[in-house]
Amino acid sequence: MKKAILYINQFFAGLGGEAKADYAPEIKNGLVGPAMELDKILQNAEVTHTVICGDNFMGSNTEKAVERILEFLEDKEFDIFFAGPAFQAGRYGSACGNICKAVKEKFGVPVVTAMHEENPGVDMFKKDIVIFKSGKSAASMRKDLNKMAQFGDKVLAGEKLGTAEEEGYFIRGIRHQVWLEDEVPASDRVVDMLLKKIRGEEFISELPIPELDRVPIAEKIEELSKATIALVTSGGIVPVENPDRIQSASATRWGRYNIKGMDRLESGVYKTIHAGYDPAAADADPNVCLPLDAMRAYENEGKIGKLHDYFYTTVGTGTTQAEAARMANEMVEYFKNEGVDAIVLTST
Amino acid sequence: MKEIERAGITIVQMANLIPVAKTVGANRMVPTISIPYPLGDPSTSKEEQWKLRYHRVGVALDALTTDIKEQTVFRVKI
Amino acid sequence: MKLEIGNFHVKDVVFGNETKYENGIVTINKQEAIDYVKEDEHITDVDIFIAKPGEKIRIVPVKEAIEPRCRVSGGSVFPGVTGDLQQVGNGRTNALKNTSVLAVGKHWGSFGDGLIDMSGEGAKYTYNSQLINICLVADTDEEFERYEQQKKNHAIRWAAMRLSEYIGNCTKELKPEEIETYEMEPITKRSPEVNALPSVVVVLQPQSQMEELGYNDLNYGWDTNRMLPTFMHPNEVLDGAMISGSFMPCSSKWSTYDFQNFPLITRLYKEHGKTINFLGVIMSNLNVALEQKERAALFVAQMAKSLGADSAVLAEEGYGNPDADFIACFVALEDAGVKTIGCTNECTGRDGNSQPLVTLDKKADAIVSTGNVSELIELPPMEKVIGELQSLARDGLSGGWAGDEILGPSVREDGSIIMENNSMFAGDQIAGWSTKTMKEF
Repeated sequence: MKKAILYINQFFAGLGGEAKADYAPEIKNGLVGPAMELDKILQNAEVTHTVICGDNFMGSNTEKAVERILEFLEDKEFDIFFAGPAFQAGRYGSACGNICKAVKEKFGVPVVTAMHEENPGVDMFKKDIVIFKSGKSAASMRKDLNKMAQFGDKVLAGEKLGTAEEEGYFIRGIRHQVWLEDEVPASDRVVDMLLKKIRGEEFISELPIPELDRVPIAEKIEELSKATIALVTSGGIVPVENPDRIQSASATRWGRYNIKGMDRLESGVYKTIHAGYDPAAADADPNVCLPLDAMRAYENEGKIGKLHDYFYTTVGTGTTQAEAARMANEMVEYFKNEGVDAIVLTST
Repeated sequence: MKEIERAGITIVQMANLIPVAKTVGANRMVPTISIPYPLGDPSTSKEEQWKLRYHRVGVALDALTTDIKEQTVFRVKI
Repeated sequence: MKLEIGNFHVKDVVFGNETKYENGIVTINKQEAIDYVKEDEHITDVDIFIAKPGEKIRIVPVKEAIEPRCRVSGGSVFPGVTGDLQQVGNGRTNALKNTSVLAVGKHWGSFGDGLIDMSGEGAKYTYNSQLINICLVADTDEEFERYEQQKKNHAIRWAAMRLSEYIGNCTKELKPEEIETYEMEPITKRSPEVNALPSVVVVLQPQSQMEELGYNDLNYGWDTNRMLPTFMHPNEVLDGAMISGSFMPCSSKWSTYDFQNFPLITRLYKEHGKTINFLGVIMSNLNVALEQKERAALFVAQMAKSLGADSAVLAEEGYGNPDADFIACFVALEDAGVKTIGCTNECTGRDGNSQPLVTLDKKADAIVSTGNVSELIELPPMEKVIGELQSLARDGLSGGWAGDEILGPSVREDGSIIMENNSMFAGDQIAGWSTKTMKEF
């Protein structure tokens, strides 16, 4: 019977949430968390080990974490490696991507993971590994494990694989030629597409132009000493009572808070409501996330003209790109109206 | 946060997961030391934290005044 | 302009005492044919072989394919090339269907040459494997290029054209089995019903990247490198105005046979008057300097706009650098309000991972893709080889190599081969036959 290994994070290992995100990597004999379900579904292999690693450990010490995990795997027999599903968790998605890519490169075994299409891990790693489209949250765990397992079974059985579309994973930008089953020649396909395009009907190009979403680089600031700089954060720093009720995740709201005359953010007056990371440090000293003290110092020195009277905040975790874009556009209105020249944005 | 730059306002992103910032299109980037505490390791002294924070924010401000042709990660010393 | 192509459906080609066509059989007097070819002193050695679909034959290096035809109305099949200049696209031209004359090197292939397998796994990679191929295998005295990777292959190609006319001539007095008629009114003199239909121009970008004369596609004998985009009647393309060149990596190539039969054109002709108003062909080219590409795009867009084209079909004979011309024209056309469909192949590398075209633009939102230049192909040995198998590995064909650390040489001891799709003769069939596309994996 072939062997499989699954990588999961601290949360799905049942060790805890943010508090345990620094959990150092370890490999456990047997099935932990989703590995149990995966083992049940997988037909052509049994899951023998579960690798667990805290998202922050992996995020902040990626090289070390990967190295350690690869060491764990060195003396293990395995034919396929799974990770996740990571759903919308950005750090988890990034972790799955990193470890899958490394395992694939070192051991040459098929690797499979899954995450939601808005997970930044998709764009980062889809070219390197197979990433299945998962749901937004653990509610779709079983369905997503199924996708991963079914594909894994196919690969293990040496079955002929279909296109990305047919199998159900994210397009990797790997394109090969295939002969069409219905043998329609290019000339007919051209005429077909032509008539549709002329008539304004929907058509599908055979060569989709990939989204190269580069934002045009904004002009540099000429005279910093005359400029007004605003602080913005996605780390969820807010006044302790969270007056605007910004959500701790999947935020759709943002706030702006007056810091005129303040030299630093005081603990107990400000805190973080971002659910995606351990709040302890930020609560103890909000300046580590929103560096008001440093900015004020620069203002006093004259390096910058003025620190804008308000800081702007929202929460980055789980927030959709669409929502973030909308919020940003709303913030831009204020920036423009209040003469803000440039932004320092801190993220967590 | 691309929208801010799209609106023409110069912006520098301080983030830990630089590759993520790159993928989502940030142009000016400065690395931070971690996720829960981007600019100040609580296991170090206040003095050291301040030094780090002051330095990196300074780099970020300098980034705002720097002409760049492509996505750029600005180097930090502390 | 009214063109009649008189078709003779060839069932077999054999050697015999008299060159003639009878009941679907083409008989060729081999000696007479060879003598005719040898009228060109530059041909030092020549032989003719017949390769039929299904036979265990591999043909390489193939430099050109031509459909044997006869200009019944008088004059050569390729004016300005094999004979005097004259207007084509009018009158009657006979064609021997289901067969082609191949120009094959006896030794010494070149960058743009290709391979054809008449049976087995490799047959599907080319259109010509479906035809009865009359293979002209020759050696020449063109010493100046004998060992060059880039060859003009002038003598062999002209010999093949002449041979194709010699063979086609056997139908001169005969009544065709069927006649295809290609006729369109002058653009401004069309009926209101036709004018009401959405109008289309076909924009073709034939290979013209060599700056020295002798390698590029020719337009009525004029080197396409020395051309600005111009307006042509589709009948002209179908009737011998365009001949293929000797440079383009082979799977992207439009052979002369392809020009004579250009499916993108004949297909639009079928739709003319029914779903579209086919205006004609804007013949552009492919250039190597940015300003030249921009200039060509400018001309193409202006002509399309001035003709009042609602839409365009744009095809490039090439990949790589030509992609820039392709995208430049695409964007220029779209900017001029001309809804464009592109037809091209891609180069995504052996692992499929590379960017498909060297430049991309969101405005190129409608493309039919005909294949991957870089696809690795491994094929078993073939019983018979026409030409010289080693040329694939030795002579710098775009899809073959002499040695590779991992893959070894393109031609192995046992006659099996490993190559890139790049050298499959006119393999990506951009002219319109391709039943291939590209998919994500």
